[in-house]
Amino acid sequence: MTTKTRLPAPPGPFRESFWRSPVRGPWLTSVLGLLLLAGIPVMFVTGLLSYAAYNPDLALVNDETPDKGLLGFYLFSWPTHPVWLYRLNQGTHVTLGLMLVPIVLFKLWSVLPKLFEWPPVRSLAHLLERVTLAAVVGGIIFELVTGILNIQTYYKFPGNFYPLHLYGAWVFFAGFVAHAAIKMPALVRSLRGHSMIDVLRTNLKDTRPEPLDAGGLVALRPGPPTISRRGVLAFAGGASALVGLLSVGQSLGGPFRKTALLAPHGQELAGANPDFQVNMTARDAGVMAAQTTADTWRLTLLTEHVTPAAGPVAGTDTVKSVTTLTRADLLRMEQHTVSLPIACVEGWSTDNQTWTGVRLSDLARLAGVPQPLSMLTRSLQRGGAFSRAVMSVEQVMAADSLLALRVNGADLTLDHGYPARVIVPDCPGVHNTKWVASLTFRR
Amino acid sequence: MRWFRRLYGSNPLHLLVTIACFAIAGYAANKLRAGDVKGILVWLAAAVIGHDLILFPLYAIADRSVMAVFRRRPPRLPAVPWINYLRVPVVFSAILLMIWWPLIFRLPTDFTAKTDLSLSPYLGRWLAVTGGLFLLSALAYAVRLAVSGGRRRSPSRGEPASSLMSAGRDYSGR
Repeated sequence: MTTKTRLPAPPGPFRESFWRSPVRGPWLTSVLGLLLLAGIPVMFVTGLLSYAAYNPDLALVNDETPDKGLLGFYLFSWPTHPVWLYRLNQGTHVTLGLMLVPIVLFKLWSVLPKLFEWPPVRSLAHLLERVTLAAVVGGIIFELVTGILNIQTYYKFPGNFYPLHLYGAWVFFAGFVAHAAIKMPALVRSLRGHSMIDVLRTNLKDTRPEPLDAGGLVALRPGPPTISRRGVLAFAGGASALVGLLSVGQSLGGPFRKTALLAPHGQELAGANPDFQVNMTARDAGVMAAQTTADTWRLTLLTEHVTPAAGPVAGTDTVKSVTTLTRADLLRMEQHTVSLPIACVEGWSTDNQTWTGVRLSDLARLAGVPQPLSMLTRSLQRGGAFSRAVMSVEQVMAADSLLALRVNGADLTLDHGYPARVIVPDCPGVHNTKWVASLTFRR
Repeated sequence: MRWFRRLYGSNPLHLLVTIACFAIAGYAANKLRAGDVKGILVWLAAAVIGHDLILFPLYAIADRSVMAVFRRRPPRLPAVPWINYLRVPVVFSAILLMIWWPLIFRLPTDFTAKTDLSLSPYLGRWLAVTGGLFLLSALAYAVRLAVSGGRRRSPSRGEPASSLMSAGRDYSGR
């Protein structure tokens, strides 16, 4: 290799003397990094589980990202127990994601001089590492922003949320793992270098810069400190706690919902649906009360013959209408009462509600398919991605899985799915189809 | 081994890890090509530079300006450092705004139709939380002053010049 002539760094942030913070340094960066090292994998795992909860492999209508390829390798049939599983998973994913926003910002602040490193590329290894950093930094912000806009129903991102958030997560996580692996020795070294107890005992007056490091994080000409290191940690942790406290109530429900001052479902509902939250009103779904009267509404039970490998057998004669039922017919069947929450992919959820209705397994038997391969639910709602959903055999056969007619001792309200809705334990809210028009049992 | 390090700049494991990263990230990114590629690229670029080149200069300049303004004011500033009692409520409030601005400014037009909930409380709630944060901070500072006031009462010898949030004191290159 030829000897390179070192260009002098341009003035401003490219010069190390530009950076003056006396608390910036590998120790502080490592502590913030450690927090993310704990939080990000939880986000990734709960995110993948959230995707698995749709049972995307069961049917095309369940899959928002049918071209996922290898990125769906881990999918499994989503369980129905314990009944709070999905609620916990989504609440964790969304609340933790919000709480990581301040930690990510503090972490980005702590490594700012790295963006302006001079020379910008020292070696091939350095170049490749900086490219992984683009995936890490761009990826985490992209994931946070798309997630945060989605839970506010502010769909301004470039495309459908599901592919953006899923594929974006893989791009980010690949970068994150590489970054964590490469930086792990440095992280361990700096954390071992200073005792946390000492840092927590050090006030502003005694705060000193870390010893100069090869990484260029420690200021060459540090100014006098205006905040201690424990102050920075309390600052970041306090911001994270505040964001969490002001939103976790929408997932805890009950008396805590009032504490979620800044969260989409931190308000008690008034008016037509005082019991619990909804995320798609009848008006929004295009369902009219006139479609749901005793004269107009019928539940159609169908069967469909499928070959497991090829999906539905070609030709429409494989679908047979078995029977139609009125709401009164359904109410004459054996009624069961279960206690289940409604939990949304967007993180909010309700306490357990008391649902009364007919078991899905009883309806399967009535249709002549006591052990269906799966069940397709169609809604009255006008189009939309979730006007249809397919349940697995485990979900159909679970004792708690109902076609609910009543909730909390009264008929369902129109917004909660009157005349009948599906309620299946641990099922994402959007798959608990409301205003059910037909159930197709596949065999 | 030494030749590899000289040529590449790090050990072989580093290369393996980065190649694995690019393979997986590339595989996933390729799936995004089915969508609005231009939009996604713009978003990604904005995400990469959003903090470092947009947010950071803004908050650093704000932080420095506040300190400069108070330093030029006639003195008699309390000796107890005050800047963090300003930074904390400002940053907490700003982060809440940064997360919840669509709700606060009533932007999601479908929100009420979907959820049967009102968009109107959020601006007031954010302002109330912000007010509460500043009030708590002022109280904390008052307590701090009272505690240290007993000991000594002297005018400030000026604020420390650099700060956590504004890493560079010398944008002028002094």
